[in-house]
Amino acid sequence: MKRALAFLSLLVIFAGLLVALSPKYGIKFGFGGEDWLKYRYTDDYYIKHGIEEVGGTNIVTDIVFDYRGYDTLGEATVLFTAIAGAVALLRPWRREENE
Amino acid sequence: MSEDMGVIVRTNARVLVPFIGIFGAYVVMHGHLTPGGGFQGGATIAGAGILFLVAFGIKAAKEKINKNLYSALEGVGGLIFLGAAMLGLSVAFFYNTLWHNGPLFNGKPGTLLSAGFLPIMNLGVGLKVFTGLVSAVFMLSLFRRWKE
Repeated sequence: MKRALAFLSLLVIFAGLLVALSPKYGIKFGFGGEDWLKYRYTDDYYIKHGIEEVGGTNIVTDIVFDYRGYDTLGEATVLFTAIAGAVALLRPWRREENE
Repeated sequence: MSEDMGVIVRTNARVLVPFIGIFGAYVVMHGHLTPGGGFQGGATIAGAGILFLVAFGIKAAKEKINKNLYSALEGVGGLIFLGAAMLGLSVAFFYNTLWHNGPLFNGKPGTLLSAGFLPIMNLGVGLKVFTGLVSAVFMLSLFRRWKE
Protein backbone atom coordinates (compact mmCIF):
# COMPACT_ATOMS: atom_id res chain seq x y z
CA MET A 1 0.00 0.00 0.00
CA LYS A 2 2.70 2.41 1.02
CA ARG A 3 4.79 1.42 -1.97
CA ALA A 4 1.84 1.92 -4.31
CA LEU A 5 1.22 5.36 -2.84
CA ALA A 6 4.82 6.32 -3.32
CA PHE A 7 4.74 5.11 -6.91
CA LEU A 8 1.51 7.03 -7.57
CA SER A 9 2.93 10.22 -6.10
CA LEU A 10 6.06 9.84 -8.25
CA LEU A 11 3.82 9.41 -11.27
CA VAL A 12 1.86 12.56 -10.41
CA ILE A 13 5.08 14.55 -9.96
CA PHE A 14 6.40 13.26 -13.27
CA ALA A 15 3.15 14.16 -15.07
CA GLY A 16 3.23 17.64 -13.54
CA LEU A 17 6.81 18.12 -14.72
CA LEU A 18 5.84 16.98 -18.20
CA VAL A 19 3.01 19.50 -18.34
CA ALA A 20 5.13 22.30 -16.90
CA LEU A 21 8.02 21.74 -19.29
CA SER A 22 6.10 21.20 -22.51
CA PRO A 23 6.95 23.92 -25.00
CA LYS A 24 3.38 24.65 -26.11
CA TYR A 25 1.66 25.75 -22.90
CA GLY A 26 4.17 25.25 -20.08
CA ILE A 27 6.67 27.56 -18.45
CA LYS A 28 8.69 29.54 -20.96
CA PHE A 29 12.43 29.78 -20.41
CA GLY A 30 13.93 32.75 -22.15
CA PHE A 31 12.83 33.77 -25.59
CA GLY A 32 11.64 31.78 -28.54
CA GLY A 33 11.82 32.31 -32.25
CA GLU A 34 13.98 35.13 -33.55
CA ASP A 35 14.17 36.97 -30.23
CA TRP A 36 16.95 34.76 -28.90
CA LEU A 37 19.38 36.10 -31.51
CA LYS A 38 19.33 39.46 -29.76
CA TYR A 39 20.52 38.10 -26.42
CA ARG A 40 22.28 34.84 -27.28
CA TYR A 41 24.28 35.94 -30.25
CA THR A 42 27.36 33.92 -29.21
CA ASP A 43 25.59 30.65 -30.03
CA ASP A 44 24.79 31.98 -33.48
CA TYR A 45 28.37 33.22 -33.90
CA TYR A 46 29.87 29.82 -33.09
CA ILE A 47 27.49 28.01 -35.41
CA LYS A 48 28.15 30.40 -38.30
CA HIS A 49 31.90 31.02 -37.95
CA GLY A 50 33.10 27.82 -36.29
CA ILE A 51 34.14 25.97 -39.43
CA GLU A 52 36.03 28.80 -41.09
CA GLU A 53 37.78 30.00 -37.94
CA VAL A 54 38.73 26.74 -36.26
CA GLY A 55 38.16 24.14 -38.94
CA GLY A 56 36.43 21.28 -37.18
CA THR A 57 32.96 20.25 -38.25
CA ASN A 58 32.27 19.20 -34.67
CA ILE A 59 31.27 22.55 -33.17
CA VAL A 60 31.61 21.23 -29.63
CA THR A 61 35.27 20.41 -30.22
CA ASP A 62 35.77 23.84 -31.77
CA ILE A 63 34.37 25.52 -28.68
CA VAL A 64 36.08 23.25 -26.15
CA PHE A 65 39.56 23.37 -27.68
CA ASP A 66 39.68 26.81 -29.24
CA TYR A 67 37.14 29.35 -28.04
CA ARG A 68 37.08 28.00 -24.48
CA GLY A 69 40.59 26.61 -24.38
CA TYR A 70 41.40 27.90 -20.93
CA ASP A 71 38.46 26.02 -19.51
CA THR A 72 39.76 22.77 -21.01
CA LEU A 73 43.21 23.56 -19.65
CA GLY A 74 41.76 23.88 -16.17
CA GLU A 75 39.82 20.69 -16.64
CA ALA A 76 42.98 18.83 -17.60
CA THR A 77 44.72 20.30 -14.56
CA VAL A 78 41.89 19.10 -12.33
CA LEU A 79 42.19 15.59 -13.77
CA PHE A 80 45.96 15.63 -13.34
CA THR A 81 45.66 16.80 -9.74
CA ALA A 82 43.06 14.15 -8.96
CA ILE A 83 45.21 11.35 -10.38
CA ALA A 84 48.32 12.66 -8.63
CA GLY A 85 46.47 12.89 -5.33
CA ALA A 86 45.05 9.39 -5.69
CA VAL A 87 48.45 7.92 -6.54
CA ALA A 88 50.16 9.80 -3.72
CA LEU A 89 47.57 8.85 -1.13
CA LEU A 90 47.17 5.21 -2.10
CA ARG A 91 50.79 4.14 -2.19
CA PRO A 92 51.94 2.33 0.99
CA TRP A 93 53.81 5.15 2.65
CA ARG A 94 53.84 3.69 6.16
CA ARG A 95 53.92 -0.02 6.84
CA GLU A 96 51.82 -1.35 9.66
CA GLU A 97 53.70 -3.04 12.49
CA ASN A 98 52.42 -6.58 11.99
CA GLU A 99 53.07 -6.88 8.28
CA MET B 1 39.56 -17.70 -4.20
CA SER B 2 41.32 -17.08 -7.46
CA GLU B 3 42.23 -13.68 -8.77
CA ASP B 4 40.45 -13.62 -12.12
CA MET B 5 36.72 -13.94 -12.72
CA GLY B 6 36.51 -17.38 -14.30
CA VAL B 7 36.75 -18.74 -17.80
CA ILE B 8 33.51 -17.23 -19.17
CA VAL B 9 34.35 -13.68 -18.23
CA ARG B 10 37.95 -14.12 -19.33
CA THR B 11 36.95 -15.38 -22.78
CA ASN B 12 34.42 -12.60 -23.26
CA ALA B 13 36.93 -9.99 -22.14
CA ARG B 14 39.55 -11.39 -24.51
CA VAL B 15 37.09 -10.84 -27.38
CA LEU B 16 35.71 -7.50 -26.23
CA VAL B 17 38.82 -5.60 -25.14
CA PRO B 18 40.24 -5.06 -28.67
CA PHE B 19 36.89 -3.90 -30.01
CA ILE B 20 36.37 -1.41 -27.20
CA GLY B 21 39.89 -0.15 -27.74
CA ILE B 22 39.34 0.25 -31.49
CA PHE B 23 36.09 2.10 -30.91
CA GLY B 24 37.75 4.43 -28.42
CA ALA B 25 40.60 5.10 -30.85
CA TYR B 26 38.04 5.90 -33.54
CA VAL B 27 36.28 8.36 -31.24
CA VAL B 28 39.58 10.06 -30.43
CA MET B 29 40.78 10.21 -34.04
CA HIS B 30 37.53 11.61 -35.43
CA GLY B 31 37.06 13.98 -32.52
CA HIS B 32 36.97 17.05 -34.79
CA LEU B 33 34.46 15.50 -37.21
CA THR B 34 31.94 13.43 -35.28
CA PRO B 35 30.49 13.62 -31.78
CA GLY B 36 33.01 12.72 -29.14
CA GLY B 37 36.55 13.80 -28.60
CA GLY B 38 39.59 13.31 -26.45
CA PHE B 39 37.90 12.97 -23.09
CA GLN B 40 35.18 10.61 -24.25
CA GLY B 41 37.42 8.39 -26.37
CA GLY B 42 40.09 8.26 -23.69
CA ALA B 43 37.52 7.20 -21.13
CA THR B 44 36.32 4.49 -23.54
CA ILE B 45 39.84 3.08 -24.00
CA ALA B 46 40.32 3.29 -20.23
CA GLY B 47 37.15 1.20 -19.93
CA ALA B 48 38.85 -1.49 -22.04
CA GLY B 49 41.89 -1.39 -19.75
CA ILE B 50 39.76 -1.60 -16.62
CA LEU B 51 37.82 -4.52 -18.11
CA PHE B 52 41.13 -6.28 -18.69
CA LEU B 53 42.20 -5.55 -15.11
CA VAL B 54 38.92 -6.78 -13.62
CA ALA B 55 38.60 -9.89 -15.76
CA PHE B 56 42.18 -11.15 -15.58
CA GLY B 57 43.16 -10.11 -12.10
CA ILE B 58 45.96 -7.99 -10.75
CA LYS B 59 48.75 -10.51 -11.42
CA ALA B 60 48.16 -10.63 -15.17
CA ALA B 61 47.66 -6.87 -15.29
CA LYS B 62 50.94 -6.27 -13.48
CA GLU B 63 52.83 -7.90 -16.35
CA LYS B 64 51.09 -5.78 -18.99
CA ILE B 65 50.73 -2.41 -17.24
CA ASN B 66 53.84 -0.52 -16.22
CA LYS B 67 52.51 1.99 -13.74
CA ASN B 68 55.51 4.32 -13.88
CA LEU B 69 55.22 4.49 -17.67
CA TYR B 70 51.50 5.23 -17.44
CA SER B 71 52.03 7.95 -14.87
CA ALA B 72 54.69 9.51 -17.10
CA LEU B 73 52.50 9.29 -20.21
CA GLU B 74 49.77 11.23 -18.45
CA GLY B 75 52.12 14.17 -18.03
CA VAL B 76 53.23 13.77 -21.65
CA GLY B 77 49.61 14.04 -22.80
CA GLY B 78 49.15 17.24 -20.83
CA LEU B 79 52.35 18.63 -22.31
CA ILE B 80 51.19 17.78 -25.84
CA PHE B 81 48.00 19.72 -25.12
CA LEU B 82 49.91 22.73 -23.84
CA GLY B 83 52.42 22.61 -26.70
CA ALA B 84 49.66 22.51 -29.31
CA ALA B 85 48.07 25.47 -27.59
CA MET B 86 51.34 27.40 -27.72
CA LEU B 87 51.82 26.85 -31.48
CA GLY B 88 49.93 30.00 -32.33
CA LEU B 89 51.48 32.10 -29.61
CA SER B 90 52.43 34.83 -32.11
CA VAL B 91 48.75 35.79 -32.33
CA ALA B 92 47.19 34.47 -29.15
CA PHE B 93 47.19 31.50 -26.83
CA PHE B 94 44.90 28.81 -28.30
CA TYR B 95 45.07 30.36 -31.77
CA ASN B 96 44.68 27.72 -34.47
CA THR B 97 47.63 28.73 -36.63
CA LEU B 98 48.01 25.29 -38.21
CA TRP B 99 44.57 25.63 -39.71
CA HIS B 100 44.94 29.14 -41.06
CA ASN B 101 48.48 29.07 -42.52
CA GLY B 102 50.14 25.87 -41.36
CA PRO B 103 52.01 23.28 -43.36
CA LEU B 104 49.94 20.31 -42.25
CA PHE B 105 46.46 19.49 -40.98
CA ASN B 106 44.88 22.13 -43.20
CA GLY B 107 42.81 20.10 -45.63
CA LYS B 108 39.21 20.68 -46.52
CA PRO B 109 36.80 20.83 -43.56
CA GLY B 110 35.34 17.42 -42.94
CA THR B 111 38.39 15.39 -43.93
CA LEU B 112 40.54 13.59 -41.40
CA LEU B 113 43.66 15.73 -41.87
CA SER B 114 42.00 19.07 -41.27
CA ALA B 115 41.19 21.39 -38.39
CA GLY B 116 44.72 22.37 -37.42
CA PHE B 117 45.68 21.51 -33.87
CA LEU B 118 42.38 19.89 -32.97
CA PRO B 119 43.50 16.31 -33.87
CA ILE B 120 46.79 16.81 -32.01
CA MET B 121 44.95 18.11 -28.96
CA ASN B 122 42.45 15.26 -29.17
CA LEU B 123 45.28 12.72 -29.25
CA GLY B 124 47.02 14.40 -26.31
CA VAL B 125 43.92 14.64 -24.18
CA GLY B 126 42.91 11.08 -25.09
CA LEU B 127 46.32 9.78 -24.05
CA LYS B 128 46.13 11.77 -20.83
CA VAL B 129 42.65 10.59 -19.87
CA PHE B 130 43.36 6.96 -20.81
CA THR B 131 46.59 6.64 -18.86
CA GLY B 132 45.29 8.69 -15.95
CA LEU B 133 42.15 6.64 -15.41
CA VAL B 134 43.94 3.31 -15.93
CA SER B 135 46.71 4.24 -13.50
CA ALA B 136 44.18 5.44 -10.90
CA VAL B 137 42.21 2.18 -10.99
CA PHE B 138 45.44 0.16 -11.13
CA MET B 139 46.72 1.94 -8.03
CA LEU B 140 43.40 1.29 -6.28
CA SER B 141 43.70 -2.43 -6.88
CA LEU B 142 47.45 -2.62 -6.33
CA PHE B 143 47.71 -0.90 -2.96
CA ARG B 144 44.58 -2.16 -1.29
CA ARG B 145 44.55 -2.12 2.47
CA TRP B 146 42.16 -4.95 3.24
CA LYS B 147 43.10 -8.59 3.82
CA GLU B 148 42.21 -11.41 1.48
